[in-house]
Amino acid sequence: MSDLVLKDIRKDFGSARAVDRINLTFRHGELTALLGPSGCGKTTLLRMIAGLEEPTRGQLLLGDTDITAQPAHKRKFGMVFQNFALFPHMRVIDNVAYSLAIEGMAKDARHKRALELLDLVQLADFGQRRIGELSGGQRQRVAIARALAQEPQVFLLDEPMSALDAKLREEMQVELRMLQQRLKITTIVVTHDQREAMTMADTIIVMSNGRAEQIGPPQDIYHRPANAFVADFIGRTNFVDGTVHSGSLRIGDQVFETNSTPNFADGSAVRVAIRPEMPSLDNTMPLSNRLTARITFVRNVGSTRDIHLDTPAGPMIVEYAIGENARDFAVGDQLDVHLPPSALHIFPAASTDRAA
Amino acid sequence: MTRLHWSAMIFMGLAAIVLAMPIVVVSAAALNGGRTMLFPPEDPTLARFVEFFVSEPVWRTALYNSTVIALGSAAIAVLAAWPMAYWIWKRSDTGSKALAGLAAMPFALPPIVFGVGLGFMWAFTGGLGTIWAAILSHAALFVALPLVTISIGLQSVDRAHLDAAATMGATEGVTFRTIVLPQTLPYTASGFFFAMVLSFNEFIVMFFVSSSAFSTVTLQIFNSLRNGFTPTMAVAAITFITVSVVAFSLVARFGDLPRLMGADQTRD
Amino acid sequence: MSSESIDIGLPKATEPASLAPILGKVARVVFRVLVVCFCLTPFLLVIAISLGEKIEGAAWVWGFEFTHYERFFAGADWPNSYSGIYLQKLWYSLYYALIAAPIAVVTAFPFTYFLTRLTRRAQTVWLIFLLSSLSLSEVFIVMGWDVLLSNRSGLPMVLRELGITDWMKATGWFDVAREWGLASPRDLKFKTSLFATVLTMSYLVWPYAVILLYPALSRLDNSTVEAARTMGAGPWAVMRTVILPTVRIPLIGTTLLLFVFLLGVYVSVTVFADPSQHTLAVSIYGSVRGSTLNAPFGAAQSVILLITAGLFLVLSQILVSYAEKRR
Repeated sequence: MSDLVLKDIRKDFGSARAVDRINLTFRHGELTALLGPSGCGKTTLLRMIAGLEEPTRGQLLLGDTDITAQPAHKRKFGMVFQNFALFPHMRVIDNVAYSLAIEGMAKDARHKRALELLDLVQLADFGQRRIGELSGGQRQRVAIARALAQEPQVFLLDEPMSALDAKLREEMQVELRMLQQRLKITTIVVTHDQREAMTMADTIIVMSNGRAEQIGPPQDIYHRPANAFVADFIGRTNFVDGTVHSGSLRIGDQVFETNSTPNFADGSAVRVAIRPEMPSLDNTMPLSNRLTARITFVRNVGSTRDIHLDTPAGPMIVEYAIGENARDFAVGDQLDVHLPPSALHIFPAASTDRAA
Repeated sequence: MTRLHWSAMIFMGLAAIVLAMPIVVVSAAALNGGRTMLFPPEDPTLARFVEFFVSEPVWRTALYNSTVIALGSAAIAVLAAWPMAYWIWKRSDTGSKALAGLAAMPFALPPIVFGVGLGFMWAFTGGLGTIWAAILSHAALFVALPLVTISIGLQSVDRAHLDAAATMGATEGVTFRTIVLPQTLPYTASGFFFAMVLSFNEFIVMFFVSSSAFSTVTLQIFNSLRNGFTPTMAVAAITFITVSVVAFSLVARFGDLPRLMGADQTRD
Repeated sequence: MSSESIDIGLPKATEPASLAPILGKVARVVFRVLVVCFCLTPFLLVIAISLGEKIEGAAWVWGFEFTHYERFFAGADWPNSYSGIYLQKLWYSLYYALIAAPIAVVTAFPFTYFLTRLTRRAQTVWLIFLLSSLSLSEVFIVMGWDVLLSNRSGLPMVLRELGITDWMKATGWFDVAREWGLASPRDLKFKTSLFATVLTMSYLVWPYAVILLYPALSRLDNSTVEAARTMGAGPWAVMRTVILPTVRIPLIGTTLLLFVFLLGVYVSVTVFADPSQHTLAVSIYGSVRGSTLNAPFGAAQSVILLITAGLFLVLSQILVSYAEKRR
């Protein structure tokens, strides 16, 4: 089977550029998440892959075939829409069998196939229901079954979980991922929810302002953000200002050890990103990489505690796991915080936290 | 929902009474034994109903003509309104909008002017006094109604449904047949009923177009205005109000009447 | 735009590629021509014939003369003598509409407001009733009011039986009624009168008023009303400071549309108005098909009515677009 390749794809709406110079390869059988804030161009990109929008520039290849000029109804990539777009005037079974009916498959045959698909999404008994009689989760399963009925080469989902409540969302993420792994179908999911992307994807593409900011497996994206935007958008991050002098990082007038040797000109200003769970507040900690701090607020969030600190480098939040030997913290306490070298991600100061 | 103040309920009740009064009086007058419209009726009898529906050919033919013209013109109006509404919805270009504006003109302007013009037009083309001319004239007069209802219906179609159909292999034609048409059916039917009921009741345009060659029920009454009203005409009134109530009840049964009339659908 | 791309299929090798789109285009052009033919030609013909020449003996020929407009504005005998009789008819068209339209809107407004506060189900029932009344032919409505206002079985009889007529005679109100043309020497009499004409016309457009006001009032945001009430506004203050200002444009727009509608009313005027106070619509009917038979002059009067109606329609359109721009 074949990979889906996007070559230098661009999309303009009037004078506004929605998608800019995207080069991507979606490998066969993998699940890729397009992750980004609203308006970053991820849905436009998905619609171009589906054939619902025409790229202003660039090429789409499915294996060796150029499909750039192929309209949506020829590509027949199954797609699950944000509000599912189930046809209210048809029963569940006819929704699922829609693509087969268009192909001209006989009624018995297509209903048989539709029932198999409904069985796949555990809705075998719901064929004769009306769409209005289904719950949100059931609707989503029907939408998935419907999109899979045509055995698409590529399976597209546009914010598939946004119409579901929080609890159901997590269940469906796992279920969808398991289904996708079973069917080994090339799948692209658009989402703004990083947990969703992390749960399901083999590869995450972080987008902002129509560009791909970083492409990689979920753990890479989280632990090795390519730039300040990704560091900020994925998970929680503390940002601290610093400078680089002769290859080492300085925050305030202190020198900090780092893992990656920063490749910056002498004296250039940098932004340092630190994940809240990385700093240490334990009683025993290395002598290096310390900052003095004062506790300004303590927030209990169940299994962890957020300790809000005031440091010479600025405010910082540290996530402290509550274990057996957990310390007690009180507002006003003075203490030291240790920043492990591996926790410090250094970016140029000009890069913004979050593209507007 | 907020409960209405008692004074508001009284006001609505009064409005209902005034609105119903002429209709009730006319309905009762149909029972008159004599030839004059009296209320309360004298010598109550159902003889006028027999006259209207059975024994007097004038009324029978008129009712037949009314029915044929109403059904025919409403059907043509719906058929003509569909492409116009579809073009506006699909492309919303100035040309389509101008065409729709043109089609709405006869309904918006005084019917007597349109009637006079149609009279001239059919006289030139030789259609004056034929049922076909009457059907086409009413279709032109009332095409605005299905145009409005179908447009409202099309606006209610979720565009994601069209995209969904496309990703499942449907061409524009197939999408239209399998998604757009079935979903807008109640609105098409409403447009049909609106045009039909109004055509059934219309007589000014019909007067100029028929050129005394044939008559509809309301035209027959209009033509004998000078001789005064008779209880047989009141039977016609009962028939017509019944047709209206049934037609609009059907619209309400199969469609959303408040939304069709422009209510905000997000409420309730 | 981009969505167009969905429509354009790849050229299929198996079928003649170019025929179907051409046929579609031809059908589209034919359809547009037909719409123009049926909806525009009648109006153009009226305008063209209004410039035609009347020939003695009920016929007319094409021409280009303004004699019929001259006659409308100055009378048939102009320039020897002046007669404003047709201008007067136009005035009566405007006059009746000018009284009846605001009456309908003012009474329909509170009704519609209450209607939109009801449950969806109750609204549906009301709407069926209103639409049935709205679509009921003018001849039937006039028939009903004819009975209701007749001397033998209508309102005068009721008032007589209740003794109100005698009371009015005793208190002098009867003379006031006579002055207003609502009474004969012995009894109250409503046919023919301005009262009866305007009453029937208001009744005729009342359901239209409700239907036209309905969208604006049902979209009225209830939370703004509630906000005003929490700030101490009573029902009247709410009406004056919140509701009326938000629906001012629809109110005026509705009045204008009803006004245009009433310009063309025929039966109510012929039955309830005094012949000396008949309208342009009645006169057009007389010229085109009635006793006088002068098609070009009938057409000229139609053009005047058309222009008058058109002016008010354009006015309401400007109003609506102005309101949309401000939103």
